[in-house]
Amino acid sequence: MEGTKFTKEHEWITISSEGLAMIGISDFAQEQLGDIVSVELPKVGSKFRQMQPMAIVDSVKASSDIYSPLSGEVVQVNDELSEHPEWINESPYELGWIIKIKPSNIEELDDLMTAGQYSEFVGEMEK
Amino acid sequence: MKWRSRKKKEKRRNDYRCVRQQGGYEVIIMNYIPVTENDKRNMLRHIGVKSINDLLIELKPSIADSGELGLSNPMSELELLEHMKRLSEKNNLMKYFIGAGAYNHYVPAAVNHLLMRGEFLTGYTPYQAEMSQGTLQAMYEFQSFICLLTGMDVANASMYDGSSALAEAVLLSSSYNGRNGVFVNNGLNPQYLEVLKTYCEGADLEIVNEINEKTTCVIGQNPDFYGNLENLEYLSDRAHKVGALFITCVVEPTSLAIVQPPGYYGADLVVGEGQSFGIPINFGGPYLGFLGVKDFLLKKIPGRIAGMTADSKGRKGFVLTFQAREQHIRRERATSNITTNVELMAIASTIYLSLMGRTGLKNVAKLCYSRAHLLQEKLAKMDFKLLNDKPFYNEFLVRAPSGSSENVLSHLLKEGILGGLHLDHDNILICCTEMNSLQDIESYASIINERMLLK
Amino acid sequence: MKLIFEYEESITGHLPDSSDDDSHSLGDLPRELIRKELPLPNVSEIDVIRHYSNMSRKNFGVDIGFYPLGSCTMKYNPKINEDIAKLEGFMQLHPLSHQSCIQGSLQLMWELGEYFKKITGMDAFSLQPAAGSQSELLGVMIAKAYFKEKKEKRTKIIIPDSAHGTNPATAAMCKFETITVKSDSRGNMDINEFKELLEEDIALVMLTNPNTLGLFEEKVLEISDLAHRNGSLMYCDGANMNALLGITRPADQGFDLIHLNLHKTFSTPHGGGGPGAGALGVKTHLSDFLPLPRVVNDGKNFALDYDRRRSVGMTRYCYGNFGMLVRAYAYIRSWGNELRKISEHAILNANYLCSLLKEDFELPYDRRCAHEFVLSSRKLGQKSALNIAKRIMDYGFHPPTIYFPLIVPEALMIEPTETESKETLDEFATALRKIAKELKENPDFVKGAPYTRSVERLDEVIAARRPNLRWNAHTGLEEEDGKKMPGINEREDRRQK
Repeated sequence: MEGTKFTKEHEWITISSEGLAMIGISDFAQEQLGDIVSVELPKVGSKFRQMQPMAIVDSVKASSDIYSPLSGEVVQVNDELSEHPEWINESPYELGWIIKIKPSNIEELDDLMTAGQYSEFVGEMEK
Repeated sequence: MKWRSRKKKEKRRNDYRCVRQQGGYEVIIMNYIPVTENDKRNMLRHIGVKSINDLLIELKPSIADSGELGLSNPMSELELLEHMKRLSEKNNLMKYFIGAGAYNHYVPAAVNHLLMRGEFLTGYTPYQAEMSQGTLQAMYEFQSFICLLTGMDVANASMYDGSSALAEAVLLSSSYNGRNGVFVNNGLNPQYLEVLKTYCEGADLEIVNEINEKTTCVIGQNPDFYGNLENLEYLSDRAHKVGALFITCVVEPTSLAIVQPPGYYGADLVVGEGQSFGIPINFGGPYLGFLGVKDFLLKKIPGRIAGMTADSKGRKGFVLTFQAREQHIRRERATSNITTNVELMAIASTIYLSLMGRTGLKNVAKLCYSRAHLLQEKLAKMDFKLLNDKPFYNEFLVRAPSGSSENVLSHLLKEGILGGLHLDHDNILICCTEMNSLQDIESYASIINERMLLK
Repeated sequence: MKLIFEYEESITGHLPDSSDDDSHSLGDLPRELIRKELPLPNVSEIDVIRHYSNMSRKNFGVDIGFYPLGSCTMKYNPKINEDIAKLEGFMQLHPLSHQSCIQGSLQLMWELGEYFKKITGMDAFSLQPAAGSQSELLGVMIAKAYFKEKKEKRTKIIIPDSAHGTNPATAAMCKFETITVKSDSRGNMDINEFKELLEEDIALVMLTNPNTLGLFEEKVLEISDLAHRNGSLMYCDGANMNALLGITRPADQGFDLIHLNLHKTFSTPHGGGGPGAGALGVKTHLSDFLPLPRVVNDGKNFALDYDRRRSVGMTRYCYGNFGMLVRAYAYIRSWGNELRKISEHAILNANYLCSLLKEDFELPYDRRCAHEFVLSSRKLGQKSALNIAKRIMDYGFHPPTIYFPLIVPEALMIEPTETESKETLDEFATALRKIAKELKENPDFVKGAPYTRSVERLDEVIAARRPNLRWNAHTGLEEEDGKKMPGINEREDRRQK
């Protein structure tokens, strides 16, 4: 989880060497949501400000927004999730990635939590 | 099965089962509350209040009481039935040669007998699937029937009626492609157009006169309001060329037994009115809206959808599925606000279609077609000019000999025949179904013939 | 149980005789229009009867047992009203008949509107909406038209967090933004937060009263007053009107619009999910906006009036779910001026049942409830509400509404209605308490429930991930006339880039 950052809304984000950011939801989040049955993805090219809703994941009984951890433009979405929504449950940090964006302000990364901070944050919630 | 204890039941007496003296007879007033005076005392004691009034005071402090409502005296079942019969007899039933959105077809007796089973009639939306396998399987069968009839991939479990189904299909279209122009082909039922305009006004959509890159969808009714049948492929092509969706609206769905399904000529969505399938005309409602789509629009569908699945033992069963589209989960992002639809009407039409089968439904359609054509030919001989320029199904538009339409219709009315829908000028929209016997058609024609000769 | 499509080919029971006039065979129709194949089954009448009779036996309704589904008012539906609705003069009447032929139906609609006015205190009613949610839509459309006419730009609607999902969904259909106000510790809409959010772009405040927690909005007069001073309108979601008949009138609480759900309050059968019927009532300043046509009465005759310039138009074909209006009318006439007893007993039953259960379950807002109440089974573990719901089926009861309102964790929303006896309420409470005990002693057993229905717990995840939404004939439908319907790839191409 080195280099991965988290939001309070349970999204994770990692920055690749090309400067692109990959976004998904945390293991804790997928656990809380239960079995994901579908994902509604944004169009490539759409732009979002930091913490704006950018996608929706649905479980059988709930529908949740995915917020953009950083401002930026969508460069790729994980199309395979429409066939395999279960990947978000089974492999939230790898196969279950959701969106790649090109960040417009990388300094926003400082607003986010590190893996350690996030796990503390989740621990507080579970109390 | 749960056995109730056989202890002697307390004699049920209750203050509302009042007995009223009326003209020397005792009349027992209707009462649907089973709690006895004794029960009530015990219940209040358990709650810890002295009277129902105390409950109300705690419930709504400082809010004004309704006071006397000024309604009439309660009625016994007998009185009520008499009153309602008298009211119903203030209506006059006719031999109907009118359709225009409400079609008078025969409903086999078995439909109502099955529908009145309390298990179907008095359940609600099958949120708890294991309690509601009957409703859910009926939904699944209904969805299948709609797909088979229309050539669509998926259908929902019903909409309020045909007109609102059309309006919701337009909202679906706009949410799918983000455009706001709605093109309506000539010949849409004018009431449907009115409903569509109302919904569009609410949703900031615009009804436009040309098909272009801003058009979200193109709507064609088939058969159209005047009964015209057409291969709408040209319209579907025009829509698809600019990336718009093509919606076919079917208001008289018995036609689908004999004419090509809208899926054949490229419809992306088919909406319509299922009243013709086993639902009485009932002064306009409740009816049955249906909505079917091609696969790619599945996640955008409004309303309930039943799906097949398995239970923990691997047995086949049904559940409401894709509920995350719906208002009770997605709230402001839902595909629609629709909640209660018209499930019982969908069950009625499922039973109707099962009873009629392929052969029966085709016969109905052929009778509708042939009777309408028979009447039209008889009228043509009396100078009622046929205005349809395309083949028609069971409705057709005629122009009565100059200045005579009102006269003609009122003479028919005197003889117990509603002769059609009077449109502008001398134009009359006439409809036949299997309910219009050859004899009825003969009397229709001869009444007109007599009036013409007298003139 | 097989599907109707899986029966072997037989002889259908209903073959209208078409031999009498085959002079007009379909030969007149162009060949390209004629359907080549109709892939429907032919099943005999006896098999159809058995198929649907057996199907119904897998269902549960108010006629079968106690159905305390909160927010849905599952009361007994009097049988006489079914007979009345089927009187020929009502059921066989064409909606486009001549005015002289529809006087009975128009009188019924006019009088029903008058009754609703008396019950709610509103000034005018439309009976056109097909259900509560369509009434809401109509109400929001009216608000939109009203402010458009006043040339006021109001784009937001205030809704409490306990509201039904239809409220925000309706707002969105009319392109309004929803502003959610949280509930306070007594279960009321938080008045301080409300005051902060009540800005000049608020068109409408939508409240359910009593709210979905089954509690009366204690500050409703103050809220109405603030909203009106702000120029906003007050909408009452009347889903819970079964608590207020003859007790208080929504108009006196300051509401400008209200909808009634006739299938809830006025006992028209729920039909497995409709048909319902809605009625929308408004105060005078909004009455011109009601949909067309309006039923009018000149003291002698009744008529349909289409001539209202400010009306929002029509919301559905013709005049409403007339068959449902007949039942509601009959129900009101049978009760007459004793209507208040319906609500009194609905409140009595709810408070009694609540008093039986609040020791074993948590009552998050311990206040006098109206016609329903919401418990939390939070202390019995995660998913306990779901497990209780499934297990209660084995005791012969329909489960309560669960996980709603959203603000109560592990919510069990229970609405007994006035038509249940004390005996039934006692039995239900006993069963629920037993299940609470089972959950503590043998949770795995409860998690496997139900055991006595036609199926055990159904897999909703597979249903959503691998959708099977229709029977598939594998018939030639897709290849009629050698012309293929667009395949999945072509459809993909059509998607907006």
